[in-house]
Amino acid sequence: MAVSVNGRVGGGSTAAGLSAVQEAIKAQRFADLAELLDTLELETAATGTGIPQDWPYTIHLLAHVVVGDLNSARFLWKRIPAPVKQNNLELIAAWKIVKCLWAHGHAAVHEALRSYSWSPEVQQVISAVAENYSQKMLKLLYTAYSTISVSDAAGCLGMTEQEVVSYTMQHGWTLDPVAKMLTVSPNVSSVEQKTDASQLQSLTEYVFHLEH
Amino acid sequence: MMDSLDAVVTQVQALSGSADDCVHLAGLLKQSESVLAVHAPRLLYALAALDPAKHSLGYLYLLEAHSSGTLSKEQAGSFVVAASNFLTVCSADQIRLAIDKFNILCRRLKDQAMQMMEPSCAILPLYAAIRKSQPSSEYLTPLHADYLLLCLLSKCYKAGLNILEDDIFEIDQKRTGLMPRDFLLHCYYGGMLYIGLKRFGKALEFFQHAITAPATVLNAITIAAYKKFVLVCLIHNGQVPPFPKYTPSVVQRNLKSCAQDYFDLANLYNSRNIMDVKRCVNAHEDVFKNDTNLGLANQVIASLYKRNIQRLTQTYLTLSLQDIADTVQLDGPKEAELHILQMIQDGEIFATINQKDGMVSFQEDPEQYNTRKMANMLDSEIQHIIRLAKKLSSVDEQVLCDQNYLSKIGKDRPRYDPDDFELVPQKMYTNL
Repeated sequence: MAVSVNGRVGGGSTAAGLSAVQEAIKAQRFADLAELLDTLELETAATGTGIPQDWPYTIHLLAHVVVGDLNSARFLWKRIPAPVKQNNLELIAAWKIVKCLWAHGHAAVHEALRSYSWSPEVQQVISAVAENYSQKMLKLLYTAYSTISVSDAAGCLGMTEQEVVSYTMQHGWTLDPVAKMLTVSPNVSSVEQKTDASQLQSLTEYVFHLEH
Repeated sequence: MMDSLDAVVTQVQALSGSADDCVHLAGLLKQSESVLAVHAPRLLYALAALDPAKHSLGYLYLLEAHSSGTLSKEQAGSFVVAASNFLTVCSADQIRLAIDKFNILCRRLKDQAMQMMEPSCAILPLYAAIRKSQPSSEYLTPLHADYLLLCLLSKCYKAGLNILEDDIFEIDQKRTGLMPRDFLLHCYYGGMLYIGLKRFGKALEFFQHAITAPATVLNAITIAAYKKFVLVCLIHNGQVPPFPKYTPSVVQRNLKSCAQDYFDLANLYNSRNIMDVKRCVNAHEDVFKNDTNLGLANQVIASLYKRNIQRLTQTYLTLSLQDIADTVQLDGPKEAELHILQMIQDGEIFATINQKDGMVSFQEDPEQYNTRKMANMLDSEIQHIIRLAKKLSSVDEQVLCDQNYLSKIGKDRPRYDPDDFELVPQKMYTNL
């Protein structure tokens, strides 16, 4: 390169950025991962050296899944170079999860989460994805069903039929053993409803605004 | 004896300090453009004597002149690195003295990045460039459209939000060098980006800006935006609204004939018959494919299932899954259940499925607007509206003081009817 470059483009190096990513995984701050990696990717691209071969694509993909951002996961997949997409088995397994989520194959998602022996670092993100997903599905079952078959409930929650029966009975659901149907008991969730003084203050400001 | 290029470099080094010096330098550089053009091959070495952060104005002229001819592959590579670095570190005050040059340089960086098939490498540098060339984040610049194009091409859709989420109020040709084409492209690419992120409401807003922009001739960008507008309208609202009153008449008159296939689809969509809509998409498949709208057209079909289910919720309290499948033309109760489950999850309908009896009971929206989360949401919406209202009244004042406006309104006044001002929020207040 013929031009002297004073100051680097974009700041911090890729290596330093990736260690920040590892720290975030260690500290279980999975929600920050996507943002960290997206920014780092653009910074690395701006240096003109291209994205390194060993970019943590699997973690990057799952980082979007953890926060439920399937669109970004889909676009990341489109950005990944074809050879990586063909050869990185762990990445292919992670992409399968995204595809199942996209197609709303609830049982298939759990299946895809379990069907690969993930490397230790990826496993941590996978666990978070699985945890979030089960929570979300449980909430959905509460709102969407009054009765549901044991097998469907098991599929949605990624449990065996026996597990799902004992788990839901703890939450007050009842089982019709003949029809193999669970009756969902309504979920009484507590929501914070308190208001504080600052809200009154802002209401005052709104009225003031309307009158002037 | 010093040669003319060295003289320019010396001037740049001497006159990059105070604001006055820079203005003086801007004039000198303008006169030296022919000198720079002659020395184009040597400019890279001359650049080494300049600091892109301190001598930004001179650096800009030299780098621009260097890149004006055709570049070899190697030269292009080092130009991209140098330009990226320059945009990141340059002084905003200095480059605004030569905003047209700056815009040309940025556009060249975009073109080179695209030619090298590495559009993502220019995203951050262009973002820095936008922020530096804007007097404030309310200004649209010619770089906005280029930035969004790079985001689209490199599939970094989220990066586009960095600038799309700013409210744009100012179009200032003098201070930003913005051309009508830049505005239309910004709207078009912005709309496409929001489609990718499935934020259809925002996408419609952007396309509508492109369609209603003042025009005396019909523009290809407007037509392309309108085609996408029709499809997104169907997906998001189920129908295509009439043109707003302020749409230029040339657009109103000619646009429909340019997008006839899209109109056929919109008309059939009204019939709510899924088979007809599918047939129409198939019949016009080539047109949609050519316009790269086939994906959107397929989403239109999917949206009709949802819309038809939604209509059922307005008529019935309970309905069997089989009946739903029959009415909506789905393959069977299981598929109907999956559709409904999905819609419940997305908050599009409120219902509970009873698998035992194969029935669905529809409910009202359970939102009571009494949670803290909802209060916070309303709060931020109101804040946003208040900011907008303030902005509107200040713009209104500006217009009221405008000489041209006053002389025109003086002549025309009797023709204005108070009912024309329906949209002024006064009426809302009186209801409170």
